[in-house]
Amino acid sequence: MPVEQTELLQGTLDMLILKALVLGELHGLGVSRRVEQLTRGTFQVRPGSLFPALHRMEEQGWLTSFWGESENKRRAKYYRLTKPGRRQLESETERWQRIAVAITHALQST
Amino acid sequence: MALLSHLRSLLRNLLRRQKADAELDQEVRSFLELLADEKADAGLTREEAVRAARIELGGVEQVKEAVLDERSGAWVSGMWQDVRYAGRMLRKSPGFATIAILTLALGIGANTAIFSVVDAVLLTPLPFHDPASLAMVWEDNPAHGLLHNTVAPPNFLHWKQQNHCFSAVAPFVDRPMNLTGAGEPEQIAVEYVSPNFFSLLGVNPMLGRGFSPGEDQPGKSKVVVLSYGLWQSKFGGDLAIIGQTVKLSGVPHTVIGVTAPDFDFYISEFSATGERPRLWAPLPEPAEWQDWSKVGRFLRVIARLDSGVSLQQAQAQMNVVAANLAARYPAYDEGWGVALISLRDQLSGTLRPALLILLGAVGFVLLIACANISSLLLSRATGRRREIAIRVALGASPGRIIRQLLTESLLLGILGGAFGAMLALWTTKALVHSGSASVVNVSNVTLDWRILAFAATLSLLAALLAGILPSLMAARGEAAAALPEGGRSSSEGRKSLAARSAFVVVQISLALVLLAGSSLLIQSFLRLTQVNPGFRISRLLTFQVTLPDSKYREDAARIAFFAQFLAKIRALPGTATASADATPPFSSVGARAATDFAIAGEPPRPPGQSLGTDVRVVASGYFRTVDIPLLRGRTFNDRELAQPSNVVVINKTFAERYFAGKNPLEQKIILDMEDTNLPDEIIGVVGDVHESNLASTPVPIAYWPYPQSPYSAMTIVVRTATPPLSMVPAIRETLQQLDKEEPMAKIATVDQLVSDSVASSRFTMLLLSAFAGLALALACIGIYGVMAYSVAQRTHEIGIRLALGAQSRDVLRLVLGQGGRLAFIGVGIGLPAALILTRLMTTLLYRVSASDPSTFAAVALLLALVALLACYLPARRALRLDPTVALRHE
Repeated sequence: MPVEQTELLQGTLDMLILKALVLGELHGLGVSRRVEQLTRGTFQVRPGSLFPALHRMEEQGWLTSFWGESENKRRAKYYRLTKPGRRQLESETERWQRIAVAITHALQST
Repeated sequence: MALLSHLRSLLRNLLRRQKADAELDQEVRSFLELLADEKADAGLTREEAVRAARIELGGVEQVKEAVLDERSGAWVSGMWQDVRYAGRMLRKSPGFATIAILTLALGIGANTAIFSVVDAVLLTPLPFHDPASLAMVWEDNPAHGLLHNTVAPPNFLHWKQQNHCFSAVAPFVDRPMNLTGAGEPEQIAVEYVSPNFFSLLGVNPMLGRGFSPGEDQPGKSKVVVLSYGLWQSKFGGDLAIIGQTVKLSGVPHTVIGVTAPDFDFYISEFSATGERPRLWAPLPEPAEWQDWSKVGRFLRVIARLDSGVSLQQAQAQMNVVAANLAARYPAYDEGWGVALISLRDQLSGTLRPALLILLGAVGFVLLIACANISSLLLSRATGRRREIAIRVALGASPGRIIRQLLTESLLLGILGGAFGAMLALWTTKALVHSGSASVVNVSNVTLDWRILAFAATLSLLAALLAGILPSLMAARGEAAAALPEGGRSSSEGRKSLAARSAFVVVQISLALVLLAGSSLLIQSFLRLTQVNPGFRISRLLTFQVTLPDSKYREDAARIAFFAQFLAKIRALPGTATASADATPPFSSVGARAATDFAIAGEPPRPPGQSLGTDVRVVASGYFRTVDIPLLRGRTFNDRELAQPSNVVVINKTFAERYFAGKNPLEQKIILDMEDTNLPDEIIGVVGDVHESNLASTPVPIAYWPYPQSPYSAMTIVVRTATPPLSMVPAIRETLQQLDKEEPMAKIATVDQLVSDSVASSRFTMLLLSAFAGLALALACIGIYGVMAYSVAQRTHEIGIRLALGAQSRDVLRLVLGQGGRLAFIGVGIGLPAALILTRLMTTLLYRVSASDPSTFAAVALLLALVALLACYLPARRALRLDPTVALRHE
């Protein structure tokens, strides 16, 4: 069930985008679809949030971009993870897992 | 690593902006196409797919804007864009821009000028080491009405020994001395200081050295330190000055030092010379200082507080010391205490109220100006609704719109501030060149970076203040509405009118406060200048002559000199009469009832309760020359003016205070002037004079004939038939004939001295009135603007009324009624505010109450009239409306 877009925090979105690119480069639309796929449809990223995030992360050095050809022979801008980007993904993943454990624990205790 | 990446992106965004923008555009469009492909593959037609894709995207421009907002350097390029756009917008309306910039320039310029004076006088630290711990130490005697008084040497010596709060104390006394042996003989002010004086202040002379301990001992060779100014003017800046000899009143002294150009230590209170010292010499501390019967009160004392001791603590401590001394020496110290005042307060305390009031007033003027500019911006905003609406449609957030509109205000502010700073620079230069130098030491008023920073900050604040409401209203108004065509009677217009009306009310209140203040000052100044000085001031020339002790040691020599000199002056064609007085008129050396006396035959009074009077020593023909009326008895005869004789003339205040109801003639009084005093017979009563200060109340004065106490420094007064200054060369020649080493000093006409004495009141009054006038003009413009706008707003309504048969007077009542309402509210707020604020001015007012009802009523009436006048043109325009045209007006 799709979650309200506004609840998706910026940090979470960044993490999802990084994860989406782990297996290889994708163009903007591809990233969007992959995130949807990874979260089993729970998160649908709007272009208005996707593009600023992609550009921001590129400026921060976690992604690089290049122009290439899509499946349908259309020109599209592709994004690829950099080494710092991979490191960022690792640390974000670890942090998220710690948070998740803590919250779960908090909610389960009486 | 991230930083490097950021920097790279920042540079690329700023320098290759067009390329980056184009790429972004391509990227978003390609996304659109891919999305459309997706949908087409899912079964939609190409057209439907494209349309669905567009909807899902939410608008290419919006997405691009979102990215652009996030970019590093977005704010920089955005700002630059805003500035260029603002510049273009202002160029399109040059009229508006000129008025706004001029108004701001006036407001900011005036504020900057006043602030630079305030800074120079009140804020700039004094040029001494740790100036905050320097304090003047005076004696005081509240029972005799003396808040500050010079110090008696025995007291000073006890203070030096018994204090625990000062790290150093230094006495000083100034005297006029004749400087000879270097060009023309010249009378200069010499400050005699204890040897630790320069080290107490923490300053080193620029050349040579200060005084060493022991250089004040008699028998040691005499040394002096020159001021930078004297070194330049008298010795041409000769670098070999150290070791040269100069003669002070005939006695040779060796020059051992020259002070730095910025060294400035001058206390005008109780200065015997009334001018800055140009030479310092050591002050000896003879054994006489310990003997109460041999000395009077003549020292001034500067002290440095011990570290960690506050002024209040030191004052409390010294109060105890003074109380002990009064108990030990009741005959001399009963009723006398100690008064400490920080050096800063001593130097600028009298100017502080006036300057702060002027600063507040000029701040008000700026507020009024900002209100006008804000109104102008509001009216411009309604004219730009279309443009703003388009920008909103193109994806600009309200914040972006506000930022862009504020940038326009800021640009106005910067330009206005730049012109204002130039205006301030120009006016302070003009001030320095005009006579106002006597009011404030404007020589150190400079426009340094601090003042410019003040001007810049003020410009930005003013711009923000003026621009914030119009920007908010413009952005909010359009973000909500669609693109309506016309419709000036919308709520938008009403809100704008309400805002501008509120501005006008504020303007009227502020203007009223300023007008009330300036009216009070004008009245006060007029009353001051109308005070009868008690003598005739026109065509009265004065100058000082100081006879050196070395040449005129005997009393008889001095008596003879002045008698001869006055006789020769009287013989000159063009002089009516001439005389001399020991006290210069209208100088800072005021009249104080500081000499004790007793009435012969009365029982001795307890110490501390003796009667007090001022004592003046005058030469022959004084009362006639100066034209003080003789009320009873007679003035001195020739014999009494040739040799010491025990007679005295008193003034009216003396007679009324001490001989009320009785005949003072032939009574005897004993003035405590010397070690032993003989009784003097009162031979006459003369009228009172205001001779130091028009505003002061007359004090009792006892006049002694010159031979009784032949001072060596006398002020000659000459009543001339021709313009006074034209007699100077002839008089100087006469003086040179008698003694070619005698200079004429402090040449002035009493007219000029009286005018100078009220210079500071005049200065404050003129400035405050100028500000009030400016405020009134600006408020008038504001009212006119609002009323014109209101009439334009209500054109439709007025048209209907006219069509339905309304008469001219009904329309007039409508317009004037609205204006009158605004004025009424403005005055209603302004009056109580003015009543509260003018209370701050009471120290500046002479014989005028700070809440003088007639003044306030007159000012309120004036404002109301001006407001109605400002409504006149819009009202006329309303009357001229053609009903048919008006009805069609939307």
